[in-house]
Amino acid sequence: MTTRRIVSEKTVLERDDKDFAPKAGEKSNITPAVPAHVIYKLLGFTFAMIVAPIGTYFLSVDTIFGGNTTWAGASAAIMANVVLFGFIIVAFQEDQSDALEAEWKEKESKKTT
Amino acid sequence: MAESEIAPKFAPFIGMAGICFAMTFGCVGAAYGTAKSGIGIAGVGTFRPDLIMKSLIPVVMSGIIAVYALVIAVLIASDIGPPPAQNYSLFNGFMHLACGLSVGLTGLAAGYSIGIVGDMGVRSYMQQSRIFVGMVLILIFGEVLGLYGLIVALILNTKSKG
Repeated sequence: MTTRRIVSEKTVLERDDKDFAPKAGEKSNITPAVPAHVIYKLLGFTFAMIVAPIGTYFLSVDTIFGGNTTWAGASAAIMANVVLFGFIIVAFQEDQSDALEAEWKEKESKKTT
Repeated sequence: MAESEIAPKFAPFIGMAGICFAMTFGCVGAAYGTAKSGIGIAGVGTFRPDLIMKSLIPVVMSGIIAVYALVIAVLIASDIGPPPAQNYSLFNGFMHLACGLSVGLTGLAAGYSIGIVGDMGVRSYMQQSRIFVGMVLILIFGEVLGLYGLIVALILNTKSKG
């Protein structure tokens, strides 16, 4: 009896394209799950993390520190930590803005009802 | 260049080993930290996608470990040159090996601690939001281990001049 299976349900592999197609008169939801400003922030931090420390090193080693590689290396490490703290601050504010938005929406829904 | 007692032919080999150790050990630590905390973030993200941005902090910190290793590798590489132009002494070779090992192995330790704390920290943060400040503090203290290795390597590196 354990070999008996329910055959009426199709698995994902057995479905056709038309099974996924939206119903007539209904548009499929193509709104991106992650808002654009979050993606720009993440891209910006990724870029900063790659460019800022090593860029600081090569820019400052001859111009500011006059060939002293030790100070240039230290400044590169400092720049990496500056990017990190920037990320922590932005992540903190992101959370607060989400909470404020939720609060605002709650107020709006109370007004309408 | 004649081979002398203070600058034997194999001295650059030991200095190059320092570069290699700095990069490989540092990146092993960074990779472990990224992967382990990434597992935790994937676990959190399926339930609370809004927390992903704050949960990414351990990944950024692991990236910084790799930046430390990169800085030291670039520093050592700028001190090594081919023989006719530069007389690379055995002292410099061992010193660069010490630089590479100190930043590489402390990076490995820091990446290990960031990985474990990041994985468990973000999972706990999903259930109790007050964990966040403690988690960030623990992560910073874990990452400071790598910073100490970097400081020692930078100080050692100043000895090559003169």
